[in-house]
Amino acid sequence: MACWGLPVAELSRPSDVAADEATKPKVAAPTRRLDIISHRNIFFLISLLIIIPGIVSMVTRGFLLGIDFQGGSEFFLSFPHNQPSLAAVEAAVAGEGVNGQVQQTSNGTFIIRTSVLDPNQAKTFTDDVGRKVGSTASIDSQQQVGGTIAAETVTTALYAIVAASALILFYLAFRFRRVPGGWQSGFQFGGSALLALLHDVFLLTGIFSILGRVFGLRIGEIDAFFLTAVLTVVGFSVHDTIVVFDRIRENMVVSSRLTFEQVVNLSIMQTAARSIITSFTVVLVLLSLFLFGGDTLKGFALALLIGIISGTYSSIFNASPLLVVWRRLQPVR
Amino acid sequence: MQLVLSWPIRIIVIGLLLFSLFVDGSGYVYRFVNHLPVTGNVAGLPPNFGGWQLYFHRGLDLSGGTQLTLQMGNFPPGQDRATVQQRTIDILQKRVNALGTAEPLVQASGSNHDRIDVQLAGVTAAQAQQVIGHRDQLVITTWVPDQSITGGPFPGYKPQMTQMTADMLQSATAELDPSGGAGWVVAFQYNGAGAGIFSQLSTTAYNACGSGGAASCPQGRVTNWLDLTQDDINNWNTAGVQAYQPFDSGGKLLSDPYIQSPITGGNGIISGNFSQQSAQDLATSLNSGALPVSLTIVQSSDVGATLGADSVRRSLAAALLGLVIVVVFMIAFYRLPGLLASIALLFYAGVLLAIFKAASVTLTLAGLAGVILSVGMAVDANVLIFERFKEEMRAGRTIGAAVEAAVRRAWPAIRDSNTSTLITSIILIFASTGSVKGFAITLALGVAVSLVSSIIVTHNLLAIVLNFGWARTDGMLGVARGRA
Repeated sequence: MACWGLPVAELSRPSDVAADEATKPKVAAPTRRLDIISHRNIFFLISLLIIIPGIVSMVTRGFLLGIDFQGGSEFFLSFPHNQPSLAAVEAAVAGEGVNGQVQQTSNGTFIIRTSVLDPNQAKTFTDDVGRKVGSTASIDSQQQVGGTIAAETVTTALYAIVAASALILFYLAFRFRRVPGGWQSGFQFGGSALLALLHDVFLLTGIFSILGRVFGLRIGEIDAFFLTAVLTVVGFSVHDTIVVFDRIRENMVVSSRLTFEQVVNLSIMQTAARSIITSFTVVLVLLSLFLFGGDTLKGFALALLIGIISGTYSSIFNASPLLVVWRRLQPVR
Repeated sequence: MQLVLSWPIRIIVIGLLLFSLFVDGSGYVYRFVNHLPVTGNVAGLPPNFGGWQLYFHRGLDLSGGTQLTLQMGNFPPGQDRATVQQRTIDILQKRVNALGTAEPLVQASGSNHDRIDVQLAGVTAAQAQQVIGHRDQLVITTWVPDQSITGGPFPGYKPQMTQMTADMLQSATAELDPSGGAGWVVAFQYNGAGAGIFSQLSTTAYNACGSGGAASCPQGRVTNWLDLTQDDINNWNTAGVQAYQPFDSGGKLLSDPYIQSPITGGNGIISGNFSQQSAQDLATSLNSGALPVSLTIVQSSDVGATLGADSVRRSLAAALLGLVIVVVFMIAFYRLPGLLASIALLFYAGVLLAIFKAASVTLTLAGLAGVILSVGMAVDANVLIFERFKEEMRAGRTIGAAVEAAVRRAWPAIRDSNTSTLITSIILIFASTGSVKGFAITLALGVAVSLVSSIIVTHNLLAIVLNFGWARTDGMLGVARGRA
C-alpha cells in the first residue's frame, strides 16, 4: 500500500501534472458524447422560455407576500368542537372592522389575515369570532408583524444575498486564478458561476410569482422560509457549478491538446453522472419532505425542489456554455 | 493523504465519536438503569457537567410558545441607551421569571439599543403581553400621624403621598457597601427636580425622629411602594396590612428605610442586611416602577403546542424517510463504499446532534432544513469521490491507487463547494435574524462536520476494509475494471 502515502497536491502545478501523465494513461474519449457546447443556444433558449414569463409575472403581478414581508396579523384558527362554514367565519370577521381576509385550508383550519393587532387585541378578536360563529376558536398559531420589521427583513435579506454573491465571486476568482489567463480568467469562471446562480434565483422567484399571483395558490407565498430556500439554492447552485469548473480546471492542464470547447464538453460529461446522482438523492429527501412533512414546510420543500432541479440544469447546460461564450468574447492571453 | 490516514487523526476522530455518543446516549442509559420512562422530562438527567445540563434546545416553532419583539421608545435624555436597555431587560427578566416558564429568554436586539426580544415557551401571546405590557408605578410616601388609624403596620400613622414622581428616579443599582464590609446596598440617583423634593422630605423625616429613628418612629421613614393608590391610603385601616407586605409576595411595599441623615444631593444608598441577590432584586423593582421607556410590540408570533409537536413529528418522519432512501440508494449504487459512506453518515449524525446539545444550538424548523441540506452535501462529497473512484478504476489503476487518486482529485471540488456554502452561511449568521439565522447556524455546523465525516471517516473506513481480500472484488466495489 505504498501509494497511500502521497501528499495532497495542487492539481494545477506542472510538476504534478507531469507525474500524473506518466502514471495515468490518457483519458480515453468517451464513445457516447453529447455535444452540449455546440448546442448551447438551445439550452439558453429553454432557460429563457421559463425565466421570461416569470420575470413578466414578477414585474406586472408582483408576489403573494407572506405575513412576515407584508406586515399585519395572521391567525390559524381551528374549531375542534363545532365546525362553522367559511361564510359564517367571513361574516364574523367582517363585523370586527379589522380589514380581515379569510381562507380555509383542506383540513378545515381557517387562515385569517388582518391589519396589525397586538396580542391583547388579537385575543379579543379571536374570542369575538368564536362567539359569533357559536363555537370556541382554538388558536393553532398567530403572528403579528409591524411594517418596519417587515421592511427590515427584506432589506437585510437582499443585502445578505448580494454580499454572499460578491464574496463567492471573489473566492472563485481566487481559486481559479492559476488556470491559464490568471485573475482575468478566474473572474470569468466566478462570473459564469454567478450568472448560473442568478438564473436559478430568477427562475425560482419567477415560478413562485406565477404560482402565487397568476394561479393564486397559497403555496406560492413569499415568506422567511422562501428566503431560506433561495439562499439554499444559491449555495447548491454554486456547489454544482464548482464541481464542473473544477474538472475544467483540471482538464485544461491534463488535456492541453484539446480546444477549450472540447475541454469544457469533456468536463461536463465527466461530472454529469455525479451532478445528477447528487441532485437525485437531494430530490428524494425533498420529495419525502414535500409529500409527508408538516404543512409549514410544504412551500419550502417545493421551492427547494424547483431550485435544485434548476441548479443542476444550470450547472450543466448554462454555466459552462456561458464560460465558453465569455471566453470567446474576451479571449485570455 | 498521509495525514488523513495517520493514527493521531484516527484517534482524534474516534475520541470525538465516543464523546458524542456519550453526550447523545448517556441520558438513555441513565433512564434504562433507573427504570425511568424513555421520553419526557427527568430531572438531573446526565450528561451533566457541574450543573451544566446538555439537552436539545427547541425553538418556539417546535415547542410551542410566544416570541415578541419590543420596540423601546421615549428614551430618557442624557442617559446611555445601552444602560437603559440593560435595565429594561433586567426588569422584564424579573417579571418573566415570575411566569415560571422553562428557559425564558429576554435579550437585546436592534441596531441602536432600541429593541428587546422575548421568547417564552408554553405561553400565549396575550398572556405574555399581560406580563410585559404591565407598568408598575413607583410611589414614594412619607408617614403622617392620624388618630383615626387603628390598624395597619403602624397604628396612629398612615402614608402620605409626596410630590416625588416615578420619573424622578434615574437609576437604582446594587453596589457593595461603600463604607466597607461584605454587605450590599442599593444606590439610587434622582434627577434635579427629584433631588430638591427628596432633600426636603429627608430633612423633615430626619428632624422628626433624629438619626436614631427606629420602628417606633414611622415619621423618620420615606417609603417606596409599587402601585400604592390614594384609595389604599384612604382605607388604610383595612388595606394597610396587605399593602405593607413585600411586593414580590403580593403586597405593594418595596422598601421602608428610615433616614439616617438628610439626603440633599439627589443620590444616596439604601442599606440593611442585603445580600447581592436581594439588593439586585430591590434595585430592579425600583427601576421597574420608574421605567421611563415605552415598550411597543412590533412583532409577535405564537405557535400552539399541538401544532409545534405536529411539525416536529411530521418533519422528523419525513427527514428519516429521506435518509433511509438515501442510504438504500447509496448502497445499491456504490455497494461497499456506499455502505461505508452510510456508516460515515451515522458518525455525522451522532456528532452533529452532540454539538447541538453541547453548544446549545436552538433547533427550529428552518434549522432542521439546514441539517437536511448539509446531509445532502455530505452525501455529495462521497458521490464525488466514488464517481472519481469508478473513473480511475476504468482507467486501469490498482484499487489502492484509484482510491488515493479519487480522494486527492475530488478534494478541490469538495473544498471549494463547501467553502462557498460556508461563506454564505457565515454572512447569514451575522446579517440575519430569526429563522434564517437558525438555518445558517445549523447549515454551517453541518457542513463543517460533513467535511470531516465524508473525507476522513469514509476514507479511513475504506482504507481499513480494503485490507481484506473479500472487499477487493469488483462486485463489492461496484466497478467495471478497465484494461490497463
